[in-house]
Amino acid sequence: MSEIIVFDTEGDMPELTMSLGSTLYNKTGSWRYLRPVYRNKTSPCNQVCPAGEDIVAYLGLVNKGRYDLALQTILQENPFPGVCGRVCPHPCEAECNRAQLGGAIAIHAMERFLADLPGERRLPVLSSTAPPGAKVAVIGSGPAGLSCAYQLARGGYEVTVFEALSVLGGTMRVGIPSYRLPREVLDSEIAAILALGVEVRTGMRLGENLSWQHLDGYSAVFVAVGQHRSRRLNVPGEEAEGVLPGLHFLWQVNLGQQGPVGPRVVVVGGGNTAMDSARAALRLGAREVQILYRRSRHEMPAIAEEVEETEQEGIRIEFLTAPLQVLTTAGRVSGLKCTRMRLGAPDERGRRRPEAVPGSEYMMEVDTVIPALGQESDLSFLGSDVQANNGLIVINEAGATSRPAAFAGGDAATGLGTVAYAIGSGKRAALAIDKHLRGEPLQGFPPLTENMSVVPREVDPAVVRFEDINLAYFSAEPRTAQPQRVAEQRVRDFGEVNLGFAESEARREAERCFSCGTCNQCDTCWLYCPDVSVRRLDHEGYEFDYDYCKGCGLCAEECPREAISIEEELKWRK
Amino acid sequence: MEKVIMGNHAVSYGVQLARVQVIAAYPITPQTQIVEILSEFCADGRLNAKFIKVESEHSVMAAVVGASIAGVRAFTATSSHGLALMHEVLHWAAGGRLPIVLANVNRALGPGWNVWTEQTDSLAQRDTGWMQFYCETNQEALDMVIQGFKIAETVLVPVMLVLDAFVLSHTEEPVNIPDQATVDSFLPPYNPRFKLEPGDPHSFYGLVAPDHYMELRHKMAKSMEEAVQVTQQVGAEFGKVFGRPYDLLEKYRMDDAEIVLVTSGTITGTSRVVVDEWRARGEKVGLLKVRMFRPTPFAALREALAEAKKVAVVDRNISQGHGGIFASEIRSVLYGAGHQPPLFPFIIGLGGRDVTPQSIHSILSYTQEHDRPDQEAIWMEVKK
Repeated sequence: MSEIIVFDTEGDMPELTMSLGSTLYNKTGSWRYLRPVYRNKTSPCNQVCPAGEDIVAYLGLVNKGRYDLALQTILQENPFPGVCGRVCPHPCEAECNRAQLGGAIAIHAMERFLADLPGERRLPVLSSTAPPGAKVAVIGSGPAGLSCAYQLARGGYEVTVFEALSVLGGTMRVGIPSYRLPREVLDSEIAAILALGVEVRTGMRLGENLSWQHLDGYSAVFVAVGQHRSRRLNVPGEEAEGVLPGLHFLWQVNLGQQGPVGPRVVVVGGGNTAMDSARAALRLGAREVQILYRRSRHEMPAIAEEVEETEQEGIRIEFLTAPLQVLTTAGRVSGLKCTRMRLGAPDERGRRRPEAVPGSEYMMEVDTVIPALGQESDLSFLGSDVQANNGLIVINEAGATSRPAAFAGGDAATGLGTVAYAIGSGKRAALAIDKHLRGEPLQGFPPLTENMSVVPREVDPAVVRFEDINLAYFSAEPRTAQPQRVAEQRVRDFGEVNLGFAESEARREAERCFSCGTCNQCDTCWLYCPDVSVRRLDHEGYEFDYDYCKGCGLCAEECPREAISIEEELKWRK
Repeated sequence: MEKVIMGNHAVSYGVQLARVQVIAAYPITPQTQIVEILSEFCADGRLNAKFIKVESEHSVMAAVVGASIAGVRAFTATSSHGLALMHEVLHWAAGGRLPIVLANVNRALGPGWNVWTEQTDSLAQRDTGWMQFYCETNQEALDMVIQGFKIAETVLVPVMLVLDAFVLSHTEEPVNIPDQATVDSFLPPYNPRFKLEPGDPHSFYGLVAPDHYMELRHKMAKSMEEAVQVTQQVGAEFGKVFGRPYDLLEKYRMDDAEIVLVTSGTITGTSRVVVDEWRARGEKVGLLKVRMFRPTPFAALREALAEAKKVAVVDRNISQGHGGIFASEIRSVLYGAGHQPPLFPFIIGLGGRDVTPQSIHSILSYTQEHDRPDQEAIWMEVKK
């Protein structure tokens, strides 16, 4: 305890006024009304990643140069970083808080950088949870099917994938051209999954040479057959020679890198299939390619970067324009009759409904018309005990269909139309199938619009927003752009357009990350604590010394990334 | 190594060689270049020190005080209004017995707003408990940083070294930059007797009642007294190691001098030339340069002025309502001496007005022509 010391002589006194005894006896923590606690919160990127990746964690690992661990972090949730790093519409970047200070982190390019690291892909296996003899059939080898197969196989399940085509990959292979997704990237990611012991049976189409009875030997079935039928234009002349539905056209291009296109090509639609069809037609030698879209640029569903690249390549996009009739000569396309459109009242989804401008019709000469208006499933194979509605297989939050032990996912069940959603959907089904086969109830699954993680980190669900970031610690460094081949050169072949980050670019981009809600050991709390009550732990993080922390809150106030919360001390609560 | 550098950078090199560990600073003309180049040294690794940017000079001194209590060698530089803003914390540094070194570039205080040289800023901090050393050359500025830490760490009193704005701070001269190993042998790492230690915490600078406060101040006074001798020893040792000895004062052509001109800072350099000219004419004129202003080198001053018939003190500063501060202090020193020659208190060069050889001629002529000063403060070169 404290005591007053009286010195008898000047010589006994110290040079300066300091206590002779230690002050440790004085546990100033008892003065505290508020208590700081280290609590990681949810980053907006993590919240919206359809594949459930821990983005903020892997960006932090890149920042520390631990690339292999960063890649393994992604692979826990997604076996296709090479694919997603190239083709994902990256909703993470749309939500990124950095967007308001120098531009969103180029997350897709970071993912690609990690996926492209040299060395053999080692997928992380889990300790087996599979009951003995449990076998699962997966119908469809697209991103949903292979994601499900991957998650089950790494957990010890015997998995057989049935694929209708002779090649694996589904839309990743037949829908996406190689200038966006080189075949060797896809091939190696699929090969890594198969290396876990997944059995593959190609040329097996459910409802044709594969029946539900064939699948009786499996403990559970996951149906992920995708959507492969193009929506129709619904205009006269659509059946003419020279009208090629977009999905079919891309299918031909992607399996043979050829397709019959005339010198003048018109693509109808505003989604990624429309962009891909137009760009593929250009690469096949079309002289003049244009895209008609009935709404304005703002409403386009295609990824903004894809639209930009499309226009760079000299493809003109006619907005607010729709076809009225395919003109033919001797059964062959010879022209297109179009009308200008304008945006009217909002529809049920809030998008303004386009309507024709009277008297604005015009004609143009065309050799090939490619409708790319979206796709739908052909679900006629399902049979009567799997319920479907509005062209989609009906599933609950666990991905279960109306048929016992049958689950479904991907575009055939969700219609969400991206590889990342499909991967998340396959993962969700795998988690459900595992529970089901272990006899646990299928409870606790979040809504289908939310993501799921196989290896979740303990974080507060509260999402960190831009206002929560302490901007004193950041400046507006610009987003790092991914190098690209120049347009004049890249339209001559199907080689990849985007060239990926060099290590220095990836590091620079990772350094820009706010690390929203996730402590990255920046030492700010440790430096600022006026009571020396933050202890630095050896390898990760810190702890508070509540014996002496007075609860001033400086640590939480200064924390650049909202990883510290302040709680009321219970003892003061009335 | 010889380098042609400005006075500000001479200070910076001295700081680098002294292996200072924490620098806190706020920019102010004409000091800024000192810390500007030091921030580069910190950034590129030439100096392994933390550079703390703060929002005012008050915080500068608070940060330096904090670093020094934590047991590291700490430095800052400032000028004029910046030094004035530090005033409160200067007392904390001295009373806390912290061996901080501060470089102050003399600059006049506003208003009228003025960035040129004048000593009133540093002299106004006379009573804060800091030692003060006035430098004549760039070499002396560099050497004084290194000696300053050695003296301060011996007696636990902070050191202010002072150089004239522009005339020294921005003027390039050849400077010998000693090699690091030699400086290391002269100035070993700081080994604090008291420091903040999270593992063994003590409270610092708490309340002291009347029954002990006076003894604390008496201890400071004794350390200041001790600093006189320590400064002489350190200056002599510096001379042995580096070939450039220093003392409390410097006597120039003082043998048999009847008129003694007393100067500080860069006016000394100008005065040397004028004294040479007067000596060439056979006039018995000498020059006494005051290096150490605080603590007052009583004995050395009395000894140096023991034979003088007249003393002319040149003050580039003003204590309004009294006069030149060096003159006032030296008059007070002489009061206790057996021999009390008449003292001519000149005020000149305020706000950076040039002090030329002609100015010094005028001062010497005035002194020669008068038996006693006819005013309490003799203002030179004031427009009619």
